[in-house]
Amino acid sequence: MMEVIKGTFPFVSVSMLVPAVSALLVILLKERYAKAISIVGAGLTFLISLVVLYLFDYSKSSAVQFYEDYSLLKEFNVRLALGLDGLSLIMYFLTTLVSLVAILWSVRDRQINTRLKEYYVAFLLSESFLVGVFTSFDILVFYVFYELTLIPMLFAIGIWGYKLRLYSAYKFFIYIFVSSLFLLLGIAAVSVQHYFQKGHFSFSYFDLLGLSHSEGIGIFLFLLFFIAFAVKTPLVPFHTWLPDAHGEAPTAGSVVLAAILLKMGTYALLRFNVGLFPDATIKLMPFMVAIGIITIIYASWMTIVQNNVKRFVAYSSVSHMGFIVTALFLLNHEGLRASVIEMFAHGMTSASLFMMAGFIYNRLHTFNMESLRGSVKFMPVFAIIVAVTAFAAMGLPGGSSFWGKFLTILSAREYSYTLAFAVLVGGFFSAAYVLYMLKTLFLDVKEESILIHFTDIRGFKLVSFLFLMVPIVLIGFFPHLFFNMFDGSLSYILRHILGLE
Amino acid sequence: MELQQLVGVIELPRLVLFLPELIVLITAFVLFTLELALSKELKKIILPSLSAIGYVLALMSIGVSAQFKGDTFYGSFTSDALGSLVKIFALIIALTVLAFAGRYFSSKRSFYGEFYYMLAFTLLGAMILASSYNLIIIYVSLELVSIGFYILTALLRGSFISKEGAFKYLILGGLSIALASYGAVFMYIYAGSIDLRDIFTYQGKDYHYLVLGIVFFLIGFALKIGAVPFHFWLPDAYQGAPTPVTAFMASVGKLAFFIPVVRIMPLVQEKFSLTWTLTVGVIAAATMLYGNFVALVQKDIKRLLAYSSIAHSGYILAAVAVTKDIGMKAVIYFLVVYAVMAAGSFFIVAMLERAEGWENRVQEFSGLRFNLPYLAFGFMVYMFALLGVPPTVGFVGKTLVFMALSFDQLWWLAFIVIVSTAISTGYYVRLVVLMYMKEKEKDVVVPQRSYAEALSLVLLTVLTIALAVVPEVIWSLVAPASETLFTR
Repeated sequence: MMEVIKGTFPFVSVSMLVPAVSALLVILLKERYAKAISIVGAGLTFLISLVVLYLFDYSKSSAVQFYEDYSLLKEFNVRLALGLDGLSLIMYFLTTLVSLVAILWSVRDRQINTRLKEYYVAFLLSESFLVGVFTSFDILVFYVFYELTLIPMLFAIGIWGYKLRLYSAYKFFIYIFVSSLFLLLGIAAVSVQHYFQKGHFSFSYFDLLGLSHSEGIGIFLFLLFFIAFAVKTPLVPFHTWLPDAHGEAPTAGSVVLAAILLKMGTYALLRFNVGLFPDATIKLMPFMVAIGIITIIYASWMTIVQNNVKRFVAYSSVSHMGFIVTALFLLNHEGLRASVIEMFAHGMTSASLFMMAGFIYNRLHTFNMESLRGSVKFMPVFAIIVAVTAFAAMGLPGGSSFWGKFLTILSAREYSYTLAFAVLVGGFFSAAYVLYMLKTLFLDVKEESILIHFTDIRGFKLVSFLFLMVPIVLIGFFPHLFFNMFDGSLSYILRHILGLE
Repeated sequence: MELQQLVGVIELPRLVLFLPELIVLITAFVLFTLELALSKELKKIILPSLSAIGYVLALMSIGVSAQFKGDTFYGSFTSDALGSLVKIFALIIALTVLAFAGRYFSSKRSFYGEFYYMLAFTLLGAMILASSYNLIIIYVSLELVSIGFYILTALLRGSFISKEGAFKYLILGGLSIALASYGAVFMYIYAGSIDLRDIFTYQGKDYHYLVLGIVFFLIGFALKIGAVPFHFWLPDAYQGAPTPVTAFMASVGKLAFFIPVVRIMPLVQEKFSLTWTLTVGVIAAATMLYGNFVALVQKDIKRLLAYSSIAHSGYILAAVAVTKDIGMKAVIYFLVVYAVMAAGSFFIVAMLERAEGWENRVQEFSGLRFNLPYLAFGFMVYMFALLGVPPTVGFVGKTLVFMALSFDQLWWLAFIVIVSTAISTGYYVRLVVLMYMKEKEKDVVVPQRSYAEALSLVLLTVLTIALAVVPEVIWSLVAPASETLFTR
C-alpha cells in the first residue's frame, strides 16, 4: 500500500484551477489582454510548482504527498484523487515549465495572428489537463484528463498549423482517440477484476495495486493498456501520426506535444502498465525492450533522411522515446532512473529544438533543410543556444541526455553486453543525426547576403529559451538534484510492486 | 353470489401512482378541445403555454408519485424507480420540444394545432410504456406512441419527404407491432398470463413457446428502436419529420421503446441467458457497425444524425446483452443521456433550418463558428458527447458499456464497440473540423431567436456535461431503478 500524506493546502488542484480560470478570463475579457493574462496565469502556475518543489518531502518521495480526495461516484469508487509522488512531481514540474515556455514563445510568434483568444485558451486548458494527467491517482479520472488533452491540441494543429493542418489534425485525433479506446476497455476490465476479487468496483489506483491477475488476464490487460500508450509514446510501428502532427503544428503546439504529451505515454507505461500488471510486465519485458531498440534505430535512420526540419526533430523525438521505453523495461534501478531523467531531459531538448525550427522559420520562411545551410552564422546568441541544445540532445557529458543514455547502457550491461551494444548502436545513430543537423546549420555555406540581415534572438523568445537552457545544464552537471525527486518512487516500484532487487 | 364476488375483487385504483400520466392525459384532452374551439391567433399562444403548464405539473407530480411504489389497475400499471426516471427525462425533453416547435413551424409558414395534442398523446403513450409489465398495456401504449409518431412525422403536408418518411414508418411500424403482439400471444400460450413477470417466473414445459414469443417480441421492438436489419424506416422518418419532432422521436421515442426490453433483462433465466446474449449481441454488433459505416458517407445532417442514432441503439443493445445489474445500469444511463444528446443535436439543426437558404447539407457547417459561435459550441459539445470524449455523458455511457461487457467477458463485442467508435470518429470530428477550422461558405443568420430556445439548449448542454462530471446526481436515480428490478 502506497503511503498517502494529505496536504494542508490543495496545491495540486490550485495549479489546475489557475490556468483554467485564466482561460476563462481570456474568453471573457478583450483580446488585447489575452497575452498578458495567459503569461500571468502560466507564470503563477509555474511559481506554485516551485513552491511545491520546495515543500515536497524528498525523504519520502515514494509517498503520495499533497494528496486531495473528492468523491465523484461512490458506487464505483471514482474519486478525484490528486497527489504527487516523486514520479508525478517531476512530470508536474515539466508541465508547468514547458507550458510557460510555450506561452512565452507564442507572444512573439508571427505565425499566430488570428483568433488569439482561442489560441491562448487552448494552451492554458491543455496545461490544466496535463497537470491532471500527471497527478491523478484514480485511473478513470486519469483517462478523462488523458483524453481531454487531445481537444486543445486538435484545435492548435487544425487552426494555427501549416499547410496540411487539417489532415494532420484528423490523423492525430483519430490515432490517439481510437487507441485510447483500448485503454478505456482495459480500465473498465480492471475495475471489473476488482469487483471479482474484492466484491466492489473501484477505479482507485491504490485499490487496484492490491489485485493479482491470473496470467492470461494479466497479459491481456497489459496489452490493452499498452496499445494506447504505445501509440501515444509513440513506438514503431505506431508512430506515423507523430511526424505529421509535429510537422504541421504551430511551434508552441509542437513544443507542448513533444515535451509533455509524449511523456504521458511513458509516464503511464511506468505508472499503470508496470504498476498494475507486474507479472505481465516481467513476462513481456524482452518484447518491450526489443520494440524500444527497434524504435531507437529505425527512428534514427528516418531522422537522417528528413528534408523538413520539423519532421527531422519529430523523428528524433521518436528515437529518444525509444530510449526511454527501452530503459524503462530493463526493470532495474539504473534503467528506471535513466528512463525518468530522460523523460525530463527530452522535454527540455525537444522543446528547444522545435523552438529553434520555429525561430529559423520566422527568418527564412522555410523548413527545408537545404535552405537552412549556415543560417545561424550571424546570430551568435542563437548559435550558442543551438549548440547547447544539440549537444545535450546528442548525449554529450554535461548535457541533459547524457545521463539517460549512459545509465541505459549501464543497465543493459547488467543483462548482457550484446544488449548494451545494441543500445550503444542506437546512441551512435542518434549522435549521427544531431551532428548532421549541426553541420547543416553551422558549417555549410550559403550566400551571406540574406543572412546578414538577420537580427539575433532577443526578448520573449530569448527568455523562453533560457527557461529551457537552465535545466539542461543543471541536469548535466547536478543530476542528483533530479534523481532525488523520484528515486524513492522508483525503488518502491521495483521493491514492492515488481518484487525485484 | 357471483355479483358479490365480482364486486369484492374491485379495488380502487391508486391514482397517486398514475398521477403524472393522469395530468398529461387531461392536458391532452384539454388541448384537443381547445384546438377545435379557439381561433388561430389565440391557439398560437394558448396551446403551447397550456402544454407547458401541463408538463410542468406532471413533472412536479412525479415527486409525489415516486414516493409510492407498487402496482395499480390490477397489476397492469407499475410505478417504480425506472419508470419515474424515464418520465422525468421524457417530460423535460417534451418541454424543450415546445420551445422549438412554434418558430420552426412558423418558419415553414404554417401552424399546426394538432401538433400540441398529438405530442401530448405520444408523451402519454411513452410514459405508460415505460411503466408496465402487462402485455396488453404494452401493446396499447406502443400503438399510442407509434400512431402519434406517424402523424407527427407526416405533419408537413406539403413536403414529399415528410410523407414518404411517415408512410415507410407506418408500414414497418405496423409490422413491428404485429410481430410484437404475435410474440405476446406465444408468451401467453406458454404461461397463461399476460404479466411479463409471471411469464418469466413460470416453470412450464412448453419451453419453445417462450423462446418463440421472446424472439417475435424482440424483433418487434428491434424494429422500433431501429436495430439492423430492421432499421430501413428510420433514416427516412427522421429526415422527413419536422426537426423538433425528430428530436422527440430520437430521444423520448427511443427511451420508451427500449424500456420493455430493459424490463425483460432481469427476468431472463439462467438456462436462457446464453441465447439472449448471443442474439442481442449479434444484433448489437451489426447495428453499430452498419450505423456508423453508413453515417460516414451521409451528406444530409439529419440523415447523419439518424444513422448515428442507429449506431447508438447498437451500443445500448450491447449492454442489453449483459443481463446483470451492471449491464442494466449501463443501459439505463446510456438511454437517458442519449436522449439528452440526441435532443440537443437535433434542436440545433432545427434552429439552423430556420436560416435563409439552409439545406441541411453537412458542408454547410463550414465556418459555422464565425456565424453562430454559441450554436457551434453547443453542436461541438454534442458531437464530442456522441463520440464519447470525456467529460461528457457519452463517455460515461461507453465506460459503463465496457464495464458491462468485460463483466460477462464479451471481449468480441467490446472490440466491435471499439471498431465502430473508431469509424464514428470520422464523421463526428469532421463536423467539428468543418465548424471550427474551415472558412465560412456563406452567412447563416437564424432569425427570431427566443429565450425559451436558448434556455432549453443551455439546459441540455449543461446536462450533457454535468451528468458526467457530477454523476452522483443521476446515479441516485439510475442505481435504484436497476437494483429494484434485480432484487425482485
